[in-house]
Amino acid sequence: MNPIIETQGLTKVYGSNGTAVHALRGIDLTVAKGEFVALIGPSGSGKSTLMAILGCLDLPTEGTYTLDGRQVQGLSGGELARIRNEKVGFVFQSYNLLPKASIARNVELPMLYAGVGRKERRERALALLEKVGIADKADKLPGTLSGGQRQRVAVARALANEPALLLADEPTGALDSKTGAEVLGLFRELHEQGNTLLLVTHDPSIAALAERRVEIRDGLIAFTEGAA
Amino acid sequence: MKTSDAFRERLLGAWVEIRENLGRSVLQALGVLLGVASVLGGFSISDSQRKRADEMFVKMGGLDKLNVQPKAAVRDGRPTALQQANLGLRDEDAVGGEALKADAIHGVSRQKFARARVVSPYGDQDRQISGIGGDFIPANGYGVARGRAFSASEMDSGAPVVILGTEAAQVFFPKGDALGQTLRIGTVPVTVIGLFEERVFRFREGQRNQFWWRNRIIAVPANLVQRRMNGDAYRRVDRVTFRIPDLGAMGGFAKQLSDLLRTNHRLQEDFRLDDVAARIRRRNSQGDVYDIIFLLSGVLALVGGGIVNVNIQMAGLKERVREVGVKMAIGASGREIFKGFMTEALLLTALGSLAGLALGVGFSWIITKNLGIPLYMTPASFLWAYGLAAAFGFLFALYPAWKASRLSPMEALRYE
Repeated sequence: MNPIIETQGLTKVYGSNGTAVHALRGIDLTVAKGEFVALIGPSGSGKSTLMAILGCLDLPTEGTYTLDGRQVQGLSGGELARIRNEKVGFVFQSYNLLPKASIARNVELPMLYAGVGRKERRERALALLEKVGIADKADKLPGTLSGGQRQRVAVARALANEPALLLADEPTGALDSKTGAEVLGLFRELHEQGNTLLLVTHDPSIAALAERRVEIRDGLIAFTEGAA
Repeated sequence: MKTSDAFRERLLGAWVEIRENLGRSVLQALGVLLGVASVLGGFSISDSQRKRADEMFVKMGGLDKLNVQPKAAVRDGRPTALQQANLGLRDEDAVGGEALKADAIHGVSRQKFARARVVSPYGDQDRQISGIGGDFIPANGYGVARGRAFSASEMDSGAPVVILGTEAAQVFFPKGDALGQTLRIGTVPVTVIGLFEERVFRFREGQRNQFWWRNRIIAVPANLVQRRMNGDAYRRVDRVTFRIPDLGAMGGFAKQLSDLLRTNHRLQEDFRLDDVAARIRRRNSQGDVYDIIFLLSGVLALVGGGIVNVNIQMAGLKERVREVGVKMAIGASGREIFKGFMTEALLLTALGSLAGLALGVGFSWIITKNLGIPLYMTPASFLWAYGLAAAFGFLFALYPAWKASRLSPMEALRYE
C-alpha cells in the first residue's frame, strides 16, 4: 500500500552561508495511510519546520517529499496551493477561522477554492458541521463560539476536501483540559474512520494517544516509538 | 459557471470586508468620490454653458452662415488706377457667390445700411435703417408677428414700406397700432406693413435681454436705401450673408468665394469673411481649456486619493497578513489572494464612483442653478468620470494586491 507521507533526506536551511540555520538535517519519515502519528519535540527542535514542509506550506532545501503519490519538491507556489487544497487539512492551535465569515462559509472556503459548486458546498459544509457536532451554529460568526466549538469548526474545515492528510498543530493548546479532551476524542474518531492524522504537540499525554510517536531533536528524528 | 460562482464569492467577501471596515472604506472611497464628482461636475458645467451659447446662436438664426462685410483696404500712397477702379462689395458679389455653389446655398441675404432721421407723429429720432434683401428675415432669426413681410416686387422696386421691431414700434407709435401708419425716413414717407416678433434671449436667468438691440430694427427693402437714401450707382451693399446648412461644404465655399471677391475687387482685400460656425468652434475650443483643467483636477484628486488608498491598503494588509496566511493554508493560491484584494479595491472604487456621480450631478445642478442656465449633461461626461476612476482605482489597487499575493503562507500564518 502506498504511504501517505514519504520523505527522504529532508533538509531545511534558513539564511545564507554565514548565518545559515539548519532547521532540518535529514529527515526520513514514512506515514502509512490511516496512521495516527504524533510529532513531538521541544521548541526549536525543527518540528514546526517539518510540519510546514509536510503541509506543503514550505519547500525543503534538499531531499524528496512525496505526499499521497505526488512529488512535492520543486513545485511552484500555485501548485503547492492546489496540493494544500486537495490533500492537506490543517488544524491550528489558534483555530485560524476567518472572523468575518460565518461558520458555514469558513467550512465552505476550501471547497470554493477547489471549484465545488455553491449548492454542493453548502450541503457538504452542513454535513461536516453535523459530523463535528455543531450543525446548529452554521450561520453564526466564529467570535460567538467557545474555543472548543471553534476548534470543531476548524476540524470540519480541514475535512472539507476529504484530504489525504490531517495536520494538527497543538490543536488543544488553547483549550482547557475538558474541551481539549473532547477535541482529542474527535480526532480519535476521525482516526477510526480511516483518516491519516499527524499531530504536532509537546504534551506527552496527548502524544500517548497516537499509534506512533516521532520525536524531533535538533533537526533529526531522535527516536520513533510504537508501531511503524 | 464556475468562474462566475467564484467571482460572486469574491464580491461577497469584498462586500463583507468593506462593510466590516466601514470607516476605512469610506475614507478610501472619498478620494474616488471627489475625483469623479469634480470631473463630472466640471464637464457638465462647461457643457451646460456651451449648450446655452449654442442655443443663443441658433436663436440668432443658425450657425450655418458665412458673412461678407467690407473692410478698409490698406493702401500705400495714392491709390493706383486699378485700386480706384475697385467698386467694393456689391450686389454682383452676392449673385456671383450664390452661383458658385447654388445647390449648397440655401439662402443669400443682403443688407444696406443708412443713418436717417425717422419721424412719426409721436417720435423724431436719428436711427439706423436696415435695408434688407433676399432671405434676411429667416436667416437672422426674425419673424413677422403681425402684418406681412416684403413681397418680391417690393424688394425689387424698393417700395416705400417698412417693418418695425418691437422697440421701434413702441417709440414711434406708442399709442395704438403701428400697422398701416406712415413714417418718414429722411425725406421718404414709408408705410408700416409689418411688425417683427419680439426677440428675447437671456444667457442666464435674470440677465438683461441680449437681443434687445434687435428689437430696434427699422427694416426697409435694400433697394429703397440704395435708391433713395444712401445709394450709389454701383449698388454697393454693407453685408452679404450666405446660408449653407452643410457645414462640410462651408470651408470650400469660403475659399472659392474669397477668390471670386478678390477678382471682382481688382485683387484687393477690402472684404472680410466671417464664418459663424468657425467662430463658434473657436469659442468652443476655448471651453476645451476648461475641460482640460477640470479633467486635470479630477485626475489629481484621483491620484491623491489613489496614493492615500495604497497607504490605507498597505496598513490594512498588516492587519490581514494572518487572514491571508489562513486562506493560503486552506488552498488559496497567490492568484486567488490577488483577485480577492483587487475585487475589494475595485468594488470600493465602483461604490465611490457611484456616490461621486451622484455628488457630481448635485454639484452641477446647484452651480448651473446659481448661474441661471439649464443643466445639460452628456453621457460622455459620465463615461469620462467613471472610466478615469476605474482606471486609477485599478492602477492603485495593483501594488497592495500584489504584495498580499506574494506573502509566504508559512510566515503569514506565524505573523502576530
